[in-house]
Amino acid sequence: MGGQERTNGTAVIDAARFARLFASSADEERPVVIRAVDVKKTYLKGTQETRALRGATLDIFKGEYLSIMGPSGSGKTTLFNMIGALQKPTSGKVYIDQVDIAQLDHNELAWLRCRKIGYIFQTFNLIQVMTCLENVMLPMSFAGMESEAAREKAIQILKMVGLAHRVLHKPAELSGGQQQRVAIARSLANSPEIVLADEPTANLDQATGTEMIELLAELKQRLGVTVIAATHDLKMLQKSDRILWIEDGRIVKSAAPSELDFGGEEFK
Amino acid sequence: MIQEQVRLPVRVAFEVVMQGIRIRFGRSLVTIMGVMLGIAFLMSILTGQALRRGVSEEERQRIEVGRMADFLAAEMGPPAGRTIGLIVTGPMSDSLEERLLRLLENRGVAAVNWAGYGGASLPPTVFTRARVENQPLQRVADSASAVLVMGAGEVPAVDWDGMLAQARQRVVAVTRRRQVSGTGATVVNLERELQPEELDRVHAAARRERYRGQWIVTVSLLVTLIGIANAMLMSVTERFREIGTMKCLGALSAFVRLMFLIESGFMGIVGGVSGCALGFLFSFAAYAVTYGLVLTLVSLAGQIGWLLGYMGVALLAGVVLSVIAAIYPAGIASRMVPADALRSNV
Repeated sequence: MGGQERTNGTAVIDAARFARLFASSADEERPVVIRAVDVKKTYLKGTQETRALRGATLDIFKGEYLSIMGPSGSGKTTLFNMIGALQKPTSGKVYIDQVDIAQLDHNELAWLRCRKIGYIFQTFNLIQVMTCLENVMLPMSFAGMESEAAREKAIQILKMVGLAHRVLHKPAELSGGQQQRVAIARSLANSPEIVLADEPTANLDQATGTEMIELLAELKQRLGVTVIAATHDLKMLQKSDRILWIEDGRIVKSAAPSELDFGGEEFK
Repeated sequence: MIQEQVRLPVRVAFEVVMQGIRIRFGRSLVTIMGVMLGIAFLMSILTGQALRRGVSEEERQRIEVGRMADFLAAEMGPPAGRTIGLIVTGPMSDSLEERLLRLLENRGVAAVNWAGYGGASLPPTVFTRARVENQPLQRVADSASAVLVMGAGEVPAVDWDGMLAQARQRVVAVTRRRQVSGTGATVVNLERELQPEELDRVHAAARRERYRGQWIVTVSLLVTLIGIANAMLMSVTERFREIGTMKCLGALSAFVRLMFLIESGFMGIVGGVSGCALGFLFSFAAYAVTYGLVLTLVSLAGQIGWLLGYMGVALLAGVVLSVIAAIYPAGIASRMVPADALRSNV
């Protein structure tokens, strides 16, 4: 396998092997940043089989703001995990930036998560024992950035999300909205191509949630990242470029918000 | 070939672990106390063994010296008011030879004529009350009821009969199972050889002692090991979200494992040091109460080499046990799939 570990604590990713895993990149007008092809995922609990995904196929384009929605048990979570390189599919292929993730070992997956994808969670998931600055610097140290450069960059990003005055506070000292801002800042630490947001506004009140959505949209515009969100939040759906509707393990609809009639209801 | 590296920032691991321990102080304290008790138990058993050895050695010497004095008295008569001659041939053994002299003084020896042979001299602290005079070798036996030959050197080549001409009694007593020849005087060997049965008995007793100690200690260390492993497993389970997050940020599985091993190792050191101190003090206090502070201190001094070794062993055991106990939980943590670790709802 490509990933070996040396005794001085570094992991070496074999770049040659990485290159071989790249599908040939056709020059498309709209470059595809994530592609899923007939992805299936089956969980085995004892003798009981749960077919969470029954063949999902989708393309996600660079710079898109995509929302995925669906009822509980629809496979939304599983699909989200697949395209976020958090799980491997049982069958089918997932290409992230043209790399088939099923071929990667755990070190290479770690590299992918470190450099290519930023994560935002419903429960913020900040490391409580570290300050905001340290939280944002953490992924940078995993990427091997020097601590001085990391500190500078982290401060820049925290400024961007409007938290320059709180960099040395611990998460427990911040409000929900502020914690989510830190989480957003952290997700951008290594300048990823993709930001994955898992119900980012679910734990925030209306007003704060709206701020967060605005912020994400603005950052997306400024930095050119692809934002993929799993969400029920109406305002967030309306702000998206495209919405995917998933039901019963399959993608049943893909449309722009303008094409859908929301009718003021929230889908659960 | 350009190689990409995902760093294993050890310093970061350390910092996260230390701060984590500080934040979760209560939980960490419980685990540390578990280690401390296990190591304290180990240390107290070992200390007890050492002190017991010291004390029984002390007893043995006391009895032996008494026997030697009685033996000598059988030849020369009661020592009260008598004069003895003493030839010092080299460095004296403080456990038998010096003690014998002090005992003789206690039993009433009034005067000591001593001569050094081969450059040896009498340690000044041996006699405190008797009249001690340094004499040339030929005059040592004047008015003496017995002449003692002590020290690590050779028996002097001397005209014994000439020397003993002025003695009150012609008795020569030697230690260290030496031989004196060329004299018609009574020569007694104060030290005796241990009979084989006695030796066997002593060794068998020591062996039994050791086995009993080993069994108890092994069981207690196993309990400690399981306790730590349990605590670490709980720690991993309740921190699944933190682990998942770390992995999302790019932490290698090896980094996660390292974090837990460092945490465990740190608790092993703290628990080991405190357990070592606690165990030692406990055993020492118990012995001091039973045998008296003086005797315990004396036997401590005699066993100091062993005790320092034991402390090293106990400390090492603390660290090693903790790390071993953490291997399985750390493995669980490192193998967590981030997706499982993160979602709390569907």
